[in-house]
Amino acid sequence: MNTDALVIGAGTAGLIAATRLAQGGLRVLVVATGEGCLPLASGTVDVLGYAPGPVKSPLGALPGLLDAHPEHPYRLTGAAGLEQSVAWFLQVAAPLGYEGELTRNRWVPTVLGGLRPTALVPRGMAAADLGGGGEVLIAGIRGFRDFHPALVAENLCQATAAPAAAIQARAIELDWPGSAGDLVPFRLARRLEDAGIRRSLATQLRPKIGSAAAVGMPAVLGRETAADIHADLERRLGVPVFEIPGLPPSLPGLRLFDCLRRALRDAGGRLLLGSSAIAATHHQDTLDSVTITQASRPVEVSAGFFVLATGGFVTGGIVREPDGRLREPVFGLPVHGLAPGQQPFGDEYLSEHPLDRVGLSTDANGRPLGAAGAPHAVNLYAAGAVLAGALPWREKSGEGLSLATGWHAAEAILGCRREDVA
Amino acid sequence: MTEALECQLLVIGGGSTGAGVAWDAALRGFQVILADRGDLATGTTGRFHGLLHSGGRYVVRDPGGARECARENVILRRVASAAIEDTGGLFVTTPLDDLEYADRFFASCPAAEVPVEEISPAEALRREPRLTPAVRRAFVVQDGSIDSWKLVWSCAQGAKQLGARILPYHPVTAIVREGDRVIGARLHDLRSGGDVEVRAQCVINAAGAWSGQVARMAGCEVAVRPGKGVMVAINHRLADCVVNRCHMTGDGDIVVPSHSVSVIGTTDTPVEDPDDIEPTAEEVAKMMTAGDVLLPGFSRSRALRVWTGARPLLPKTATVGDDREVSRSHTVIRHAQRDDLGGLISIAGGKLTTYRLMAEDTVDAACAELGVERTCTTAETPLPGSTGRNYYRLPDHQADFEKGRADNPMVCECELVSRSDLLAAARRNPQVQIDDLRRVLRIGMGPCQGGFCAFRTAAILHGQKEYGRSQANAGLRAFVQERWKGQRPVLWGQQLRQAQLDAWIFQGVLDIEHMPT
Repeated sequence: MNTDALVIGAGTAGLIAATRLAQGGLRVLVVATGEGCLPLASGTVDVLGYAPGPVKSPLGALPGLLDAHPEHPYRLTGAAGLEQSVAWFLQVAAPLGYEGELTRNRWVPTVLGGLRPTALVPRGMAAADLGGGGEVLIAGIRGFRDFHPALVAENLCQATAAPAAAIQARAIELDWPGSAGDLVPFRLARRLEDAGIRRSLATQLRPKIGSAAAVGMPAVLGRETAADIHADLERRLGVPVFEIPGLPPSLPGLRLFDCLRRALRDAGGRLLLGSSAIAATHHQDTLDSVTITQASRPVEVSAGFFVLATGGFVTGGIVREPDGRLREPVFGLPVHGLAPGQQPFGDEYLSEHPLDRVGLSTDANGRPLGAAGAPHAVNLYAAGAVLAGALPWREKSGEGLSLATGWHAAEAILGCRREDVA
Repeated sequence: MTEALECQLLVIGGGSTGAGVAWDAALRGFQVILADRGDLATGTTGRFHGLLHSGGRYVVRDPGGARECARENVILRRVASAAIEDTGGLFVTTPLDDLEYADRFFASCPAAEVPVEEISPAEALRREPRLTPAVRRAFVVQDGSIDSWKLVWSCAQGAKQLGARILPYHPVTAIVREGDRVIGARLHDLRSGGDVEVRAQCVINAAGAWSGQVARMAGCEVAVRPGKGVMVAINHRLADCVVNRCHMTGDGDIVVPSHSVSVIGTTDTPVEDPDDIEPTAEEVAKMMTAGDVLLPGFSRSRALRVWTGARPLLPKTATVGDDREVSRSHTVIRHAQRDDLGGLISIAGGKLTTYRLMAEDTVDAACAELGVERTCTTAETPLPGSTGRNYYRLPDHQADFEKGRADNPMVCECELVSRSDLLAAARRNPQVQIDDLRRVLRIGMGPCQGGFCAFRTAAILHGQKEYGRSQANAGLRAFVQERWKGQRPVLWGQQLRQAQLDAWIFQGVLDIEHMPT
């Protein structure tokens, strides 16, 4: 099999890089073991939320972050690259109505009723910014184990993280019409396509709205037809409705996955799921091909460029052995970020764990370094959570990093192509 | 504010021994108060591998101890069956073990009253397919798996029904003496912040590995030597019966099925302080490698967490003077006879399988102390919930769960805990913490270690009126921290992936770090 670019991994970084490459005119194949991390993600694009104090403006806080952590992956793109990647993302993800700025974080509720800083939100969370306080009604569904409106509302009333003004939140629990069965996110999302269900929920909700400026609901408002469901609920209620993302599987994350997959396909790229990269062949300093599994058989894929976007420990991009050794399983690249003898974990769960920063080191173009300290191959790039230097969950920077570094890898490859042509 | 209470027997220590003493004494008609510094069964009792001994592990080196285990095993199957899973056990001779020891083992069982049957290696492999194919001899014994929490609660519940008071989260701050007599103790109520002064005719020090500390408060010595043992839980049952190596005993030579997981144990390292028993990476590595000898591939399976327990070992030299050595494995000390200090009895040594006998011997000594004669009936009286041979069976839980499935959301997928289970437990104990529910319902004990269920549990408890917003937030954080301690040493491979997914949930999605308090 032959392609211009092979992208390994279908999380945010892989899909972003692949889509950008395909739009740039390359034949692109994405292979991934599973659906990547997006079903786990909240669907927001967190760029920089804590550094380590709460961040008002991601762009404003970036220089300080890079001063404190010169190895941080944002060094690859700097502010300019970050801005370009975000501008590009807003176009690609336009069907989901993403909005936001890099100069102002929004403070959106968690399912615990805390406030979390994020830069870009989909249309379904446009009304979720409670940084300025206000009155909201939090509506749960009785029997849905992952959303408990009373706790959300009570905690929101105490929120001190960012809001300039107080939040007044009330809670209501809605009865799900008909047989309940196991109320899990997929089932709720599917059943909400039924206008009768929406009518019943709206009928229960309307009398409780009072002076609330918006209604917060669990993020289960549909998958393919989410935009219609959301608009219909807002029309029935007469106030903005926002989703509050919760435990996986996350519908907002899956919608973004669907959206990026469609953008990739529209640009001519191909996505092969259930297919893992298992081996590589080199010719001097150039990577020639990668062997992937397809229907459990090995298939060799030759390509001009390769992007490694397999993620961190969660998705198997980095592996820790019982004896503590760290390895990158596809190319055997050295994993950096933990000094010999350094304890990988802190004592407290919420303390900073050195292991969380480990990953691949790269040159300025995003090419991962081999054992000798030079790029492992001239045509291999790495992007996303497989990179060393960040604390995505603590910093609230995960999607921003994947977006910026995925876009950056694609730009570097497109730049090389232009040079070759010239 | 100090509350004043009175009783005949004050039992210090809510492990299996203390709870067993409370049950035994209550059955004999004594007024009893039981106090523990934490929740019941959170010391050594809640931190062992879960083995109900057949006696097989002692037949060669300590036939007397083996006989005691074998007899108690028969009794507990009668009176505590609901806490027991009748797994049976195997002793197997691996290529690393001496064949001659197998002969001695087999020959020693009858004298120690340990029922044993030899089966062929092929039959052993048919019963336990993951057993090492190199097994050379195999012996079937009456080992079992026992849920020490269930056992202790049923003892406590039984005692309570007979009028005993159970005071968890009440550490002893002083033993009160009047001349050469102990007349009670001062307790501190951790939950209300108040103090409780208990006057008792006799104080029973059943603090196990901590009994030296309690004795010192009374001004005397119990030379208990805590022995640290490490255990590792694997994410599913690698064998359905207890598997022991047939040898003189060593580290990591037993794998016990416990609910939905397998537990390997253990080690024995003397320590000074029973509260300072952190497991080390070396100990974990040793357990994983040792597991491969019995069950090849063990070291590649997914370790969920590691914990340690402190055995209350009592060196033989500690039993001097008038001590009555009532048993090979445990000792009852009447301080009146040894230290001229009346009103205080200490019980030390022993093991969970013989807890009932330990309690019997202790309450016998208390009867002597109080100058009364009352007969022990714990060997004949079933504990609450046990009706004789109604053993716990793993599939029963699944079946019960399926019955009530509709309209009853599952809170914990790993251990099949439903919302109604949670609410029922919260009703029984309005002050319940998530970590207490772990012991009652096994919340957070499965492969995800609380990643999904901890949030749901906190939020559902918050719906109960005794459990406010602050308690929900703080409870969630405390639980996550508690789970973290036991996971750190086994975070590699798949379980590290799980822990990172949990971190994504707790930090990325829930952002518990920045919750209001």
